[in-house]
Amino acid sequence: MSCPDWEEKIALQVEGDLAAAEVERHLESCAPCRDFAEGLRQSLGMLREAHREPLADADFAAVRARVLERVQVKRRWIWWPAWAGAAAVAALVGWLWLSPASQAPPEAGQRPAPPVIAQVSAPAPVMAQAEQAPRKHRGRRRAPVPPPTEPLVVKLITDDPDVVIYWIVDPQGD
Amino acid sequence: MDRLALLLTATGMEAPEDRSRTLASAQAGDLAAFERLMRQHERMVLATAWRLLGNREDAKDAAQEVFLRLYRNLKKVEAAENFAGWLYRVTVNVCHDQQRRRPITVELTDLPAASAGPHQEMAEAERRRVLELSLRMLPEKERAALVLRDLEGLSTSQVARALGSSEATVRSQISKARVKVKDFVEHYFRRRT
Repeated sequence: MSCPDWEEKIALQVEGDLAAAEVERHLESCAPCRDFAEGLRQSLGMLREAHREPLADADFAAVRARVLERVQVKRRWIWWPAWAGAAAVAALVGWLWLSPASQAPPEAGQRPAPPVIAQVSAPAPVMAQAEQAPRKHRGRRRAPVPPPTEPLVVKLITDDPDVVIYWIVDPQGD
Repeated sequence: MDRLALLLTATGMEAPEDRSRTLASAQAGDLAAFERLMRQHERMVLATAWRLLGNREDAKDAAQEVFLRLYRNLKKVEAAENFAGWLYRVTVNVCHDQQRRRPITVELTDLPAASAGPHQEMAEAERRRVLELSLRMLPEKERAALVLRDLEGLSTSQVARALGSSEATVRSQISKARVKVKDFVEHYFRRRT
């Protein structure tokens, strides 16, 4: 039976965590504590032997693949507000372009609509609309040659300060 | 110098300045650099997780979470010299979180049957199982201290930093853990003989 008061110190001394001369002296004079120290060394040796890595390259590759997949998905999702904003602006521009009201000629004495510059920041795109002609023209036959109008310019600001998208829409469809 | 570079390449290691550059590139958003970082540290992370959790699949889940946390916190990891210490700390924390969600229970049925068989292979498998169990029955903090000190080979001060404890606390945990493992192993093998 080892000496309980010495066990903690011996457990540290066997692996060099404690270099105390008094522990050495005690071990020299106490056979049960020498057995205790030997038991500690043996069990630690067995523990190290049993925990020598059985991990295969496939284990590492599997972890790497899973992490990279998640990271790439994460990186793609970072851009979705910008893409959603761009899609919304494109839809709005298309609607304005194809809308009959936007193609109707201006009334006499009315100046052509000035160019509209809308700044849109993702993820909440907001766009100013071109001034529309009155609805009463809807359904009427279009004038054969509409007067020239200024192009519609839409400026889309993305999350990336280096990327600015300009949409220039010719109302005459040229 | 060329020989040293060749040796480092052959052993899959990088010189410290290369490691700093890899970390800087990964922080700048270079995914290939992040993958290199993973390759450099995957053995350390996965082996530690496996030793703490005692199960290969759980260890893979933990290692995945460790590297995802690394990716999320890349910009916060400042010094490349202390990078391994940071990863050890995260690995231990992730394994502790995982154990809390899926607690380890050591039951009598976990122990190999006394009639494990005469074959050398079976005896070896039994021995390995007992030693794994001797780790699993330790309290969380004592197990972490023992794994980092005796199986990963960290110094007491490195273990203390990784676990966020004082050196005195770590020494006490290591000491208790070693005695418990010895008692468990001796008790089991004495019972078998």
